[in-house]
Amino acid sequence: MKTSQPAEFGDEELVTLAQKGQREAFEVLVERYQTKAYRIAFDFTRDREEAKDLSQEAFLRAFIHLKSFDLRAGFYTWFYRILVNLCLDYRRRRGRVSWEPLDEKSEKADGKDGVASVVRSPDQGAMTEEFSRRIEKALAELPLKQRTAFILKNHQDLSIHDIAKVMQSAEGTVKVHIHRAVVALRQKLAEFA
Amino acid sequence: MVRHEHTLQGACKEFEQDLVLYYYEECAGPERSRAEKHLQSCALCQQFLADLRRLLPLTIKQDEPPQVFWQSYSKEVRRKLATAEQKGRWWSDLAALLRPWPVPALATALVLILALTLTFGKRVWRPQDLPPEEEGVMEILPMAENLEFFKAMDMLDSLELLEAGAGLGNGSA
Repeated sequence: MKTSQPAEFGDEELVTLAQKGQREAFEVLVERYQTKAYRIAFDFTRDREEAKDLSQEAFLRAFIHLKSFDLRAGFYTWFYRILVNLCLDYRRRRGRVSWEPLDEKSEKADGKDGVASVVRSPDQGAMTEEFSRRIEKALAELPLKQRTAFILKNHQDLSIHDIAKVMQSAEGTVKVHIHRAVVALRQKLAEFA
Repeated sequence: MVRHEHTLQGACKEFEQDLVLYYYEECAGPERSRAEKHLQSCALCQQFLADLRRLLPLTIKQDEPPQVFWQSYSKEVRRKLATAEQKGRWWSDLAALLRPWPVPALATALVLILALTLTFGKRVWRPQDLPPEEEGVMEILPMAENLEFFKAMDMLDSLELLEAGAGLGNGSA
């Protein structure tokens, strides 16, 4: 008889096992969602260490409060809600975050982390950096809810339905946030692309 | 990278939100058909959609940490979960101590002790307060306020005591 491995279980089964005290089941959930969780946190913080701390904190809180999760909603929307709230608290505490273009940071480090470096002419390099700065500035200037909805849709490809659950908003409201964010970004970026 | 010289114009207002949703493939049913039909004949909306397709992917900048980062990440999370689980066990053990019978039993015992102390404690306390020599004064003092009564009762043995008691009583009269 073939026995299933925890890695093959669905989210619901893993949550049920974890609620019964099997920590290993929750660790499988962590492995399943850690990359996405880190990326969402990174979209908000633009800092590797902060993104690591926030995403780990979200997993920890989900683990501590797992017994209160009732399985009616999907685990990942419940977990993402915890994560996004942590990220929004982080943004509120930090105020305006200085948005350094990722390219600069990776160049300052060993050049292997972050976005892969591309060989380009000095002029192209300057324009790319300028455009990166423009993007970061334009994103930073979006109101928090618009930026949240935009990041979850554009960067993480969550459905409008899931974004509404994560942000605890109506789907219509999420659509309005995304629409306004996109129009604002197009207005600020179109002349540079 | 080229700077576009033309003035940026938006899409037709009544279609703009639908076009954004269309770009994200979140537009379905009649709204989708309506948007597609409109796109066939509107240059402004075609330009709007083209801009979205060109610009929005550029806003995504992912960090791709190396493998060693993820190894350390997993290890750290496991450690934090183990610590949280230990703490949770400690609290559960404490809560178990306070559950079912010990709490009501202790509470009942405390109430009984308090009741006994209040009931029997009064009697034990009051008489001890006065020194023996003043006990007589305290007993006679009310009677000293009515000397006529004592004269009538012929209590000559306590005369000195009565005079002393009357002196104390005059202070209050």
